[in-house]
Order: sequence, then C-alpha cells, then structure tokens
Amino acid sequence: MNAIFTTVFLASLLVITIVAPDKLLSTLLGGGEKTATTALTLFCIYAVWMGLSRLAEKSGFSRVAAKGLKPLSRRLFKTENEGALENIAMNLSCNLLGIGGAATPYAVKAIGELEKDKNEFAQKLLFVINATSVQLIPSTVIALRTAAGSKAAFDIFLPSLVCTVISTVVAVLIFVGAHKINCKRKKRA
Amino acid sequence: MVYIIPAVFIAVFGFAIFKKVKIYDEFSAGVKEAVQFTLSLIPCLAAIFMMCEVFEASGLSDALTKLLSPVFGFLGIPPELTKLVLIKPFSGSGSIAYLNEIIAKYGADSYITRCACVCFGSSETVFYISAVYFAKTKTKKLFIPIAAVLIGTLVSTIVACLLCKVM
Repeated sequence: MNAIFTTVFLASLLVITIVAPDKLLSTLLGGGEKTATTALTLFCIYAVWMGLSRLAEKSGFSRVAAKGLKPLSRRLFKTENEGALENIAMNLSCNLLGIGGAATPYAVKAIGELEKDKNEFAQKLLFVINATSVQLIPSTVIALRTAAGSKAAFDIFLPSLVCTVISTVVAVLIFVGAHKINCKRKKRA
Repeated sequence: MVYIIPAVFIAVFGFAIFKKVKIYDEFSAGVKEAVQFTLSLIPCLAAIFMMCEVFEASGLSDALTKLLSPVFGFLGIPPELTKLVLIKPFSGSGSIAYLNEIIAKYGADSYITRCACVCFGSSETVFYISAVYFAKTKTKKLFIPIAAVLIGTLVSTIVACLLCKVM
C-alpha cells in the first residue's frame, strides 16, 4: 500500500503542479470532505449491522448459522481459530445474501482474530475473496436500470453471476499460487 | 428478494429473545463497536480519498484512460467502458456516478449499459476495501493480493463484454 500510495500521489502531485498549481489545496480538502461524508454514511450502515451482529453473536445465532460454512472455511483458510472461522462463515453468508454492509464488520472481526495468530495468509485470502465481490444478486445495478426504464433489468443476472465467480476464482488462484511459490523460495533460502 | 433483510432481522431478534439476551443493551453495545470501528477507519480513508482526488484532478486518470483505451479495445472491452473499469477500484461513488452517466447516454437496454452493469456488479472498490480491512493490522506487503484482485477483475471484465453480446 505504501508503494502504491506514494507512486500515485507523487505522480499526480507533479502533474498538478505543472497543470494547475492553484487547484491542489482545494482538491485535497475535497478529499477530506469526501472522507467525512463517507465516514458518516459508513457509520449509519455499521451501526445497524454491528448492532444486529452483536445480538446474533451473544445469542449464539451466528454459531448456529455459521455451522454449514465452517468446514469449508477451515480447509480454505487453514486456521483452527474458532472465532475467526465463525466470522469468516458469517462474512461469506452475508456476501452471498447480498448484504454487503453486514459482511464488512464480520470480515474486519475475522481479520482481527487472525492477527492474534499472525495468520497473514488467511487475512489476505479473505481480502481477495471480498475484494472480487461474491454477491449472487447485483441489486444496485438492477435498481439503477429499473429506474432508468429498462424493460428487462434482470437480464444481466446470469452474466453477472458468471463474471463474479470468474473474478473470484482467478484472483484466488493467482494469490494462492503466488503464496506457494513464495513459500518454496523461503524454504530453499 | 425484498424479504431477505426483514427475515434476517426477525430471525436474529427471535433467537435473541428465546435465549434471553438483553436486546437493548447488546444492540447499543454493538453500535458502540461501530463508533470505534468507524473512527479507526478515518485516517486510512482520508489518505486514500486524497490520493484519488489528486489523481483525478491532475488529469492523470484521463490520460491513463486515453492511453489504455486501445489496449482494452484489443481485449474486447469497448472504449466507452475504459473509464468505468479504471475508476471502480478507486472510488465507489465516482464509479456509480459514471455508471449513471453511461445509462443516461446509451439507454438502459443498450449493449454498453448492460456491459457496464455487469462489470460494475461483479467488481469491488479494491483500494478502499484494503484500507478498511487492514486498518488495524500489522500485515504488510499487500501488493500480491491487490494485484491478484485486479487481474481477476480484468479477466471477468473481458468475459463480461463477451457474455453480454451473446446473452
């Protein structure tokens, strides 16, 4: 992240200094403003879902709900950390149901649990799966198209499903492959 | 589909009542976690958003769009979509604004719009997610995971443009 941030920021900085030096400060402040509004929006989403997920956690609901996906997660993420597995299972189910807002807090909790074991592989794998989008129903775009007067707003359902599966599978394969190559290299050294 | 969210709420509340959980106390404790969580995100969000804004304002993102359009065209991605594909990893609100523009310009049922919708629906704001997920961890070296995600997204974008022609 440090390398990406520095490269993009520095390159943009140099260009804007040549093209429009007077706009730099207002642009940065604009970014700050966006942060404030986004943080507020995010808080609204998290307040709802983290309130509910705390109820689910305390009542044992998530333990029951997560049972089905736990064995799969255990093999995929190579961890025995029960707390992390439960949160991963809940994250995956929320994603599949299309409640992205509820999925994020679970992912962050799972990553916090994995941090205790220093399990970077599982942390990154969870990120890769979430960042390639695993939703079954693309509700946002369907809503946008319906609003624009589409006659068949649902006709993108199948291509979307195929593409979301492809993006996740490709990214996971690349990530796991790179991880294995790295491990081999470390063993040799 | 509209019943999913109400059903989740009813199920969790019902279960909590059955297990005699103090619902009000626990719900507000959950919100308290949300407050702390949101606060912990702000530093990373600010950095990322400032980077995105300067990137956009400097004209570099437009230049990159022009530069990559032929490359994307070669891969079967229409030039009208280049900007959307490039913006999506950086900015959710930016890409949704651009998606709306595309829908308004080309019509809700055109090939370009359908392609754009599939690309939008099957990808995520990668940099923002990486900031949120790893805000409180010591995990470094995110280059490979981020690269894997971007390649996966590019492959699915190419497939999306193909699929929308036949489906």
